[in-house]
Amino acid sequence: MGYVAAGYGFAFGGLTLYALSIWWRGHRGRR
Amino acid sequence: MKTLTQRLLGPVTLVLLGLTFGFGLWVTPPDKVQGDLVRLLYVHPAIAWVALYVSFGTATVASALYLWRRTRSLVVDRIAYCAVEVSTVFIALTLITGSIWGRPTWGVWWAWDARLTSTAILGVLALGYLALRRANDDPSLRARRGAVFVILSAINVPIIHFSVLWWKTLHQGATVFTDNRTLKVHGTMAWTLLMSFLGFTLSFFWLLRARYRLEVATESRCAATLDDALAARRSEGAL
Repeated sequence: MGYVAAGYGFAFGGLTLYALSIWWRGHRGRR
Repeated sequence: MKTLTQRLLGPVTLVLLGLTFGFGLWVTPPDKVQGDLVRLLYVHPAIAWVALYVSFGTATVASALYLWRRTRSLVVDRIAYCAVEVSTVFIALTLITGSIWGRPTWGVWWAWDARLTSTAILGVLALGYLALRRANDDPSLRARRGAVFVILSAINVPIIHFSVLWWKTLHQGATVFTDNRTLKVHGTMAWTLLMSFLGFTLSFFWLLRARYRLEVATESRCAATLDDALAARRSEGAL
């Protein structure tokens, strides 16, 4: 199950981090 | 003002991805041969589908529209640029999730197999495109060079698709449909796979929209900064 957890972690975590990076770049620009 | 589609895009994407996560991990049964490792196949093929076909396809169409004089605009250039950036993330996740599945199944993290290598080459090409965008300040030159680069890189997409047929590969061929187009997956496994494909596809459009809006905001900020700098120089000259 460790490989499954790692795969889901990278897939969903990676997309979440990228979405947060877009939000952060927009937020930093507005300041 | 947001349209209904724009309002629903985010929530529907989150619901579908949440259902994929829950069904993929806890509801679907383990496979007779692969056991729990089959759960990785609810994420890896859908992410690869978005990386190769949806996002790189969007970038290629937008680039072709830019090169065609009648549809040339900075809007399609921005769409191409943002689609390649999102595609780069999906290509990286395709390679990572595939590698995590490959280690216990094939016994190796990586093999110089035709499907894996051609996908990695597309990732390098996408990074090259992003570097090329940063190398030019002239918007029209940057857009034209970028569009040509994307279209040339897109030649690799059918090579990736047919690699499992053209070469003897470790990566398996089509596993969802049989040769006569009947579904090989059934029940909750099939529904989870469908939700996964829909959820990751919608996530691409959601991310693309957010990234496009960020790009517009960045460009307008740069233009405003330039205007302020020019006004300051003019006032210095007037003193």
